[in-house]
Amino acid sequence: MAGAATILHADLDAFYASVEILREPSLRGRPMAVGGGVVLSATYEARRHGVRSGMRLADARARCPGLVVVRGSFGDYVGYSRRVMAVFRRFTPLVEPISIDEAFLEVHGAARLFGPPPEIARKVREAVRTETGLPLSVGVATTKFLAKVASRVAKPDGLIAVAAGTELGFLHRLDVDLLWGVGPVTRERLAGAGIRTVGDLAAVPPAVLAGVLGHHGAAHLHALAWNRDPRPVVTGRRAGSVGAQSTFGRDVGDPAAHRAVLLRLAERVGSRLRAKGRAGRTVTVRVRFADFETVTRQTALPGPTSSTSALYRAGRDLTGAALAEVGRGRGLRLLGISVSHLTRLPDLQMELPLTGAGLADPVLRPGSPEALARSRLDVAVDRAREAFGRDAVSRAALLGTGRRDGPTRDHIPAPEDL
Amino acid sequence: MLSRATRAIGTRSPLPILQGVLIEVTGKTMRVTGTDLEVTIRTDLEVEVLEEGTTVIPARLASEAVRKLPPGAVVLQAADGEVEITGGGPQFRFRELPADDFPKIAEPDLTGAVEVDGNAFASALSQVAVAASNDDARPILTGVFFESEGGSLRMVATDSYRLAVRDLPSMEAELSGLVPVRALRELKRTVGASTLRVAIGAREATFASDRGTLTARLIEGTFPNYRQLIPESYPNRVTLDRDALLDAVDRASLVAEDHIPVRLMLQEGGVELSVIRQDVGGETEHVPADYAGQEMTIAFNSRYLNDGLSVVDGDEVVLDLMDPLKPGVLRGTGSDDFLYLLMPVRL
Repeated sequence: MAGAATILHADLDAFYASVEILREPSLRGRPMAVGGGVVLSATYEARRHGVRSGMRLADARARCPGLVVVRGSFGDYVGYSRRVMAVFRRFTPLVEPISIDEAFLEVHGAARLFGPPPEIARKVREAVRTETGLPLSVGVATTKFLAKVASRVAKPDGLIAVAAGTELGFLHRLDVDLLWGVGPVTRERLAGAGIRTVGDLAAVPPAVLAGVLGHHGAAHLHALAWNRDPRPVVTGRRAGSVGAQSTFGRDVGDPAAHRAVLLRLAERVGSRLRAKGRAGRTVTVRVRFADFETVTRQTALPGPTSSTSALYRAGRDLTGAALAEVGRGRGLRLLGISVSHLTRLPDLQMELPLTGAGLADPVLRPGSPEALARSRLDVAVDRAREAFGRDAVSRAALLGTGRRDGPTRDHIPAPEDL
Repeated sequence: MLSRATRAIGTRSPLPILQGVLIEVTGKTMRVTGTDLEVTIRTDLEVEVLEEGTTVIPARLASEAVRKLPPGAVVLQAADGEVEITGGGPQFRFRELPADDFPKIAEPDLTGAVEVDGNAFASALSQVAVAASNDDARPILTGVFFESEGGSLRMVATDSYRLAVRDLPSMEAELSGLVPVRALRELKRTVGASTLRVAIGAREATFASDRGTLTARLIEGTFPNYRQLIPESYPNRVTLDRDALLDAVDRASLVAEDHIPVRLMLQEGGVELSVIRQDVGGETEHVPADYAGQEMTIAFNSRYLNDGLSVVDGDEVVLDLMDPLKPGVLRGTGSDDFLYLLMPVRL
């Protein structure tokens, strides 16, 4: 049924912290944070004292003197995440995990079995609570975007269903920072223009908004303010995406270090794509800042690629753009690259060896002579590694950037690819 | 003539005024101007003038309205912020757009113009225009490059997958510049006529006939060096009946769609043409041909191959090849003034 509110956004509350409470029930009701140098997750009791994810532990302790700090145990989180996702899949096969602790569920086909979507949401929450002990908040709406907003508003341990037809009434009274992509900077800028609620934002013509936020950001936010988000829920397999990410144990601000990480990630994603005989044209970069604000940037390439160089360049450009736009000099905590819209490695339309200005980066065009040469290199590297091991071949740019001073944890505990 | 000027108007124009056409009535003529600032089309018509004046009217509405009027004389009359269009009974009224907002566009510059046979020019253009790109991300490829070459006027276009080169002989004129293909595609339907005057200045190209003028802002930048792309010799040459191959490619396209290549297996006595589409099926057929060279299979995008075959001159075509990963070159037999080079698909 088109237009009905059948999309659920299910988000575990303070996931890591909630798991720690299950392991050590005496922690319940106490201000507690999971983390090493920084807070990865905090209970709502701690949040009431101003403790936030991404905050340095020292700062968190200063704000919340009785704070209990627990070191994380990622293996356990992954196990819980899998069990929760499995509960989701009992209600609908259309589950799109977006990180370790949240997923979209499309339930339009599940009504006959489980009742209307708000009822399904209630049952999902109950099942997760009984079977895993974890609190889950759910938003139900007509679009992914609004479902996510609703679950944020519902937290902690709540459920909000926004019926079709009532979306704008619900959305427009909210503060703008509940919108995806509105961090502290954007909020300040909007406030400077007298825009505080989503309703204020919706009332401003895009052209005027562009003066405040730039064209891209303005069009994006304006669409969201009117609940325009056409993206369907896609399951991991159907979505066909391959990705990898690295988290850092400390803030990394050096662009050269970012590039080294991106190159390593591009190599990993590229070789996995090539091993599967797949290629994709949408490249997404995920950037997490020291304060844990996380942004994603996406671009569509001229054609499907599995080339390390193309993925690296696209990733580098996207990361650069994200840093320029919202970086404000902050160091990074995580970098991820993923490729989606996968197809079989296509027969390749070759391109003429044109040279000159204004022809775009040839490495990003899969049929160009440059890209073809690099893809031959990829094949050679893949073969050498297959025969002699991963360290048989290394990119010169990566020499001396080994794991010790590079990423401390590769492949974060995301149950699905990024 | 309204509709001719309307063809210059972009559908996505940022300025509302550009959705209008400027109508200027002076002396005995009415001039209609439409522009999107990149391309400007002006048409002149001798009319019975009751009163001189200037107005801007919504282009698409007005031109559709005039088209739908019964045959006969049409009267345009502006008064009180509205323009009335009447003829044979019906009466349309449209709100005028502010004439002062209409961009001031310089008069067409025909300095150094050359007179060309309009039909020959149009047909030469249509041969190269197919190879131009429509991808705005690479503006330099969205034009047709004009230059003088050994007493001919040469036109070149490429979208990086194929390249078309056409020489229009016996043209001593110095015409050089990169003209947006979008403008050139409008040429025939707007100012096209049996005699055309062409001028390419530093900034704009102008095409004029008794039907009006079309001015296009040149694309800035340097056109890629295309000469190095054309191989000097080819070890493998196949000669075939153009229509037979065109029909075969057409049948194969039925199965191929855009992204599945058509395979040509070249052997003595002919070409085995085939297309295989996983999960759907395929098509195979034999096209008789003269083939001199080694046996090989090369694959092309069916649309690119079809485009080339459709514009090449003559009943018989020559396809010159080196190997399956190098460009192929299509020409009409015995014709030297046009070539269409296309890159293969790597299987």
